[in-house]
Amino acid sequence: MTSPATIAAPTTAAVEVTGLSRHFGPVRALQDVTLSVPDGSLTAVMGENGAGKSTLMKILAGLDGPTTGTVRVNGEEVRRFDPATLLSRHRVALVPQELALAQDRTVAENIMLGAEPGPRPFPHRRRMDERAAELLDRLGLRVDPRRTVRHLDAASQQLVVVARSLAREARVVIFDEPTSILSPAESDRLFGVIRGLQGDGVTMLYVSHRMPEVFALSQHIHVLRDGRHVGYWPTARVSPDQVVAAMVGRELAAEFGRHDTPPPAPAETPRLRMRDVSGTGFTGIDLDIAPGEVVGVAGLPDSGRIELLRGIFGADPVSGGELSLDGAAFTARSPRDAIRARVAYLPGERRQQGILPTMSVADNINILTLSRRQRLGLLRRRALRRDADTRARELTVKTSGTAQGITQLSGGNQQKALLARWLSIEPRLMLLDEPTRGVDVGAKAEIYRLFRSLTEAGVGILVSSSDLPELLTVSDRIAVMAAGRLVGVIPAAEATEEKVMALATGAHTMKEKA
Amino acid sequence: MTQTSTAPAAPPVAKPATDRAGSPLRRFLHAREASTFLALVVLFALGTLIAPGFVGTDNFLTVGQQIAQIGIMAVGVTFVIINAEIDLSVGSIYGLGAVVCGLLMTSDVAWPLAALGGIAAGAVAGLINGLMTVGFGIPSFIVTLGTLSVYRGVTLLLSGGSPISLSSDDPGVAEFNLLGQGKLFGLLPMQLVLFALVAVVGMIVLSRSRYGFNTYAVGGSAEAARLCGIHTGRVKVTAFTLSGTLAGLAGVLGLSFLSYVQGVTGTGMELTAISAVIIGGAALFGGSGTMLGTVIGVAFIGVLQNILNLRGISSFWQTVATGAVIILAVAADTWLRKRSGRR
Repeated sequence: MTSPATIAAPTTAAVEVTGLSRHFGPVRALQDVTLSVPDGSLTAVMGENGAGKSTLMKILAGLDGPTTGTVRVNGEEVRRFDPATLLSRHRVALVPQELALAQDRTVAENIMLGAEPGPRPFPHRRRMDERAAELLDRLGLRVDPRRTVRHLDAASQQLVVVARSLAREARVVIFDEPTSILSPAESDRLFGVIRGLQGDGVTMLYVSHRMPEVFALSQHIHVLRDGRHVGYWPTARVSPDQVVAAMVGRELAAEFGRHDTPPPAPAETPRLRMRDVSGTGFTGIDLDIAPGEVVGVAGLPDSGRIELLRGIFGADPVSGGELSLDGAAFTARSPRDAIRARVAYLPGERRQQGILPTMSVADNINILTLSRRQRLGLLRRRALRRDADTRARELTVKTSGTAQGITQLSGGNQQKALLARWLSIEPRLMLLDEPTRGVDVGAKAEIYRLFRSLTEAGVGILVSSSDLPELLTVSDRIAVMAAGRLVGVIPAAEATEEKVMALATGAHTMKEKA
Repeated sequence: MTQTSTAPAAPPVAKPATDRAGSPLRRFLHAREASTFLALVVLFALGTLIAPGFVGTDNFLTVGQQIAQIGIMAVGVTFVIINAEIDLSVGSIYGLGAVVCGLLMTSDVAWPLAALGGIAAGAVAGLINGLMTVGFGIPSFIVTLGTLSVYRGVTLLLSGGSPISLSSDDPGVAEFNLLGQGKLFGLLPMQLVLFALVAVVGMIVLSRSRYGFNTYAVGGSAEAARLCGIHTGRVKVTAFTLSGTLAGLAGVLGLSFLSYVQGVTGTGMELTAISAVIIGGAALFGGSGTMLGTVIGVAFIGVLQNILNLRGISSFWQTVATGAVIILAVAADTWLRKRSGRR
């Protein structure tokens, strides 16, 4: 394996990153990253969630500036990190995960934004449409440039963003997990487009954690882990296993895998029993979770796995079917009902749905147990503070004190604080969505250890994750969802990433060389 | 690839840096009230230097009298703004409360009932604001922009376009006037006492009650609060109702003070009340702000206007100054936050 030292670029470098660091308060999103992207190549940047891939791409696209370090594009150092400079002067364009398009403007207007033909205040509309049509044609996308973007599906919208970067004559195009929103067929079409661009000499940076596509498309692979550059190989000279090893970094599987412990004996009454349960985004789900069992829900982002968790918790309505909790009928019409039944839900969108961003760590931990610490209608602040301190200590939340604002904590510590919040209701069942997203390795290990002690105490856990290796590690069984349906349940000991993906994508015959 | 057997050659993973503690002094300087308070102190010093007759119990009590009504309204608006909502209709509700109370008084209703009637009118108006905002799921900016006009129209219709004057010869009016004109111990204006009472209760509710806790939670992230089992709608409707009730109360005090009200009374007061809350440090994004901050903000506006009055500067210029101060206050705060790397 090649050491992560600086690599001598075989040809001239289109992008050179030297000693790049980015800190958000105490969080080290990137630390001293050095890598180079050869001109005309497709270079993949891989890493787990929270490894710093997206931060790096944001800096390269000028959406964020580095704390220290330099970036050179075609030999010229980038001095101003803003999108306009990167795009106009250095010709670096980003195709982000969340597409930023003006939904109510036409395809042509979106593509030609900033490169409108004709006089600036009054662009030449017909020439604009023609030029947009040319670019769409080059990408093999058959849509009328005069349609509004809102009416296009996600895959086509993505290609509109690609066309926009071509309109601005981008020489480096960055794709940030482009297939995360695409179906397999749509992904194939995108791969065709990417190969076409490569034929035209466009340099590309490709961020993903999906092995097959990276191995099919790239010439170079860089791996980031916890903000550090930990590996580089020419794609032809590395195996997926080596890359995964670099991404994971530790043998988490060996330390925390549940395969070695016998799965809990099927109990008389399951903790959670679901029969033909349907709701927004999922239909006809039959699934049991035993006390002390961890069931992992795998599936593509649109498979309905998140919606299932939300439905059980009462965050969204359930339209049909039967649910029971420890044998008693259970339907949560609102999160309130679920909390009363001691069911916990940790949302995957921590920033938007998990933390109370303007409040302290203590307040974030205490929110579910305020009623226990009330006297004459007033909150007993000191008692609450002590509660929070105790719980924060139990989960080793690193703070300068629980009075600290929650947003000042790193992602992993925020997540531990949220787990402390939910443990305060002594949950019987925990519904966890992406429990380790944006969490550093150390905190990850602690969260896995927590799972283990919880299940030993008989808590049932339903965990949804896009991180398959993690899911295979922590679960007793894997429930695979596709298009809102449960398509298979595999004991974790028999499950492999390939098996799960085959079920999740519906391509049971899909073969991957790994 | 489920099992990884090879450890890659990589530097050991660094432990995330421990979160830095803020010293008490730093935290004080970071608290938004601190900067508003310092600004108030500076303004006081300025007043002492340039405004003749600024220093003195009489003048300070006059300022207290003048800020009481705006202050009471601002306490209600604070709850709304921390909820990440806005209430533009409080000026109209002020007028509505005053006119309803005035009509009841002139119809020989006992003065306590008339006063309660005016307050209740405000409460209902606030409740409607809340129900529409939550029920229709539309921004409260739009809802209260609408009711700003609707309530004003209702007030004009009720008053029939002609002013209502209370005659001190009528039964109960003298007692009613004590609310706005009376002095506790012959010294403290009753209005100021009421404002202090409202502010203290508001402060306790906001900082010590479960409702106050929920207000910050909902204002910070409504979805996160909902997923923690909080009735976010109820919290917001309550805030609007509080805001309406207190605006109604302020209107009743206004009538009591002047014995006179007309359909347009209270126009524009919403902007002063909102300004006070903003100067006091509440962010329009919601989730932050304190009652103490609001009180300081109210005092700031009162003192500023008083100084300009004492210097004989026209009220037109006072309007200009108040607006400029709002922008300066928020700009200074934003600048400070950026500098200290806080978000």
